Amino acid sequence: MKVAPFPIRPSGVRNKPVTGCLIAAFVLMALLVLPGRAFAHAALVAADPADGSVLMQSPARFSLTFSEPVSPLVIALVRPDGTRLALTSFRLTDRTVEIDNPETLKSGTHVLSWRVISEDGHPVGGSVLFSIGAPSAAPVAGETADWSLRAAIWTAKLLLYAGLFLGVGGAFSLAWLAENRRCGQRFVIGALLCGLAAAPVSLGFQGLDALGAPLGRIAAPPVWQTALETSFGWTALVALIALGLALLSLVGPRTPRKLLALAGLIGVGAALAASGHASAAEPQWLTRPLVFLHGAAIAFWAGALAPLGLALRYQPAEAKVFLRRFSRAILPVVAVLAASGIVLAIIQVQTPAALINTAYGRLLLLKLALLLFLLTLASVNRWTLTAPAEAGDTEVQRRLVRSIGIETLIVLAIFGVAAGWRFTPPPRALAIAAAQPISIHIHTLKAMADLSITPGHAGQVAASMVIMTGDFGPLDAKQVTLVLSKPDSGIEPIKRPATKPGDGTWRVDNLVIPLAGRWNARIDILVSDFEVVKIEAPIDIRSE
Amino acid sequence: MKKYLLAAGAVLALGPNTALAHITLETQEAAVASTYKAVLRVPHGCEGKATTAVRVQIPEGVISVKPMPKPGWTLQTKKGRYEKSYQLYGETLTTGVKEVDWRGGNLPDEFYDEFVFRASLAADLPAGQMLYFPVVQECDGAAARWIEIPAAGQDEDALENPAPGIKLLPKK
Repeated sequence: MKVAPFPIRPSGVRNKPVTGCLIAAFVLMALLVLPGRAFAHAALVAADPADGSVLMQSPARFSLTFSEPVSPLVIALVRPDGTRLALTSFRLTDRTVEIDNPETLKSGTHVLSWRVISEDGHPVGGSVLFSIGAPSAAPVAGETADWSLRAAIWTAKLLLYAGLFLGVGGAFSLAWLAENRRCGQRFVIGALLCGLAAAPVSLGFQGLDALGAPLGRIAAPPVWQTALETSFGWTALVALIALGLALLSLVGPRTPRKLLALAGLIGVGAALAASGHASAAEPQWLTRPLVFLHGAAIAFWAGALAPLGLALRYQPAEAKVFLRRFSRAILPVVAVLAASGIVLAIIQVQTPAALINTAYGRLLLLKLALLLFLLTLASVNRWTLTAPAEAGDTEVQRRLVRSIGIETLIVLAIFGVAAGWRFTPPPRALAIAAAQPISIHIHTLKAMADLSITPGHAGQVAASMVIMTGDFGPLDAKQVTLVLSKPDSGIEPIKRPATKPGDGTWRVDNLVIPLAGRWNARIDILVSDFEVVKIEAPIDIRSE
Repeated sequence: MKKYLLAAGAVLALGPNTALAHITLETQEAAVASTYKAVLRVPHGCEGKATTAVRVQIPEGVISVKPMPKPGWTLQTKKGRYEKSYQLYGETLTTGVKEVDWRGGNLPDEFYDEFVFRASLAADLPAGQMLYFPVVQECDGAAARWIEIPAAGQDEDALENPAPGIKLLPKK
């Protein structure tokens, strides 16, 4: 795997190849054993009882079906009086979570609140409202954003980025580019320690967020156990290894330092590729290597800035070699950085409109603006200041130092923006969620039906129905008709006969649902020539 | 008085309208344990198409059914076993007509016709309740199914294709 083009000097590597190779192999292994398949945020596809349904009796169990495999974290029932009952007995079969109901529910509206972790490592939550007997005022489910926890997650993530990019990247530049590695060493070690502290803290916060627990519960073992089970656990683990290797390259024995620093840089890419939105996107064979390259290139560039600036400031004579090596390598590195970034952005954002319409897109625009500023500064440095500075012009060297200082600040701002992505699902995931079907289950004594409308939003859709008798037996209907009505909208009922494609379902294709909102779905099942069974239930159609 | 007139006007305005649109029975009340002459009124075809068959399902408790033949139509009946046995003029009936089927005719949408059968209403039918005769009207490539029976408490007017029915009166 080619990380970033730079002049490799084989001397110094040859001395202790075994240790170095072992370390590199370990980091690569960590990269390879990462969960192979990962998808976007999981979306709830079906719930039993269905959202908004009114039941006559307290159900013995609940079930939640998701668009992708998930791990349940916290499932709770909020009773009509607002008290909370934690539901701890559940089973996971494929994409469905079956939850036992330990008590007989009293009449009124209940909230089934769920929180699961999807495969990109980010927790997703939601709730299903249903009523026993008759609806009452909905209790407060308490699914609100914990802003202090969000701020803590963001800060820890920013510090982790600083550790990985400025610390590990800095150690790499000191090992491979700098002539005198004392300049900037203290800064780099500081960044590394910062990252070493931030990685476990980030993991703890991830656990808190996953369980929806407050900051005060950071010491609870389940929080850490949960965090380790998410894909972010891998990120934290690999990041710790990378940070440790980088620190070792600075303070450890002199001979393997280049290899240690290189392994650290590889670790940065691997840590980033292990979790997050971009790594979870399809196609995996493309996104994970791209995130890896993107991360490694950022570390190379951002890491070199501070040591280079400090070297120019305090050891201008010796900094010349550093500057020459850096400026020779930086163009291909920035090319890799930009190319991987552009491809990932296209995969994540999908449509130009999403840049403005979604929080994710707006953060990307902000990052691009900062990046544009950074690239302008960097190219001024590269093409107008580097040559005279290398030649020894002290005035130019001072300007270069100032400019590098500003660049470092912009880089930190970019890290801050990137850390904000933690809270925004990418447009790609939003599009997948929007395309999810809406399903309802209608159950009466005489007949029952599973109705799915795909995609589950207003516009051109297709409906699919599975019809059974009320006691789950086969029902060979002679005819099935789907009638959708929205009495409050003044739209006449939409009535469509269903066809039988032969796979046991009944389908209505080319159906247009003109409006989002609550519709009434009625299925007329012709059981025999003289008997029709009509079953109906409300169905919520999303807006696009 | 004014209210009464308004109500009467409403009945005049709405009543015949709904009756015209559906297949209905001419006599809408009958006593249990009596003979009933059912006259099915077919006011139009299905979706503008000519009617080619009229099929009536005979509900439980309606026994000794004799349909009236119709020129131009082939008359058939489907016989079957009753859910229980009935006494009629000293005889025990356990099987009988379950479905009457006039087919092969052609009744254009713009014409009206009637289909007739005679039957005995069993003595143990619940007086005070409705008794429904689901009808399937077949046309060339289409069908109208007058087979909907209101659920308990449901308003019959809310049904799109109500089955024709009669109100059962107490035994005379």
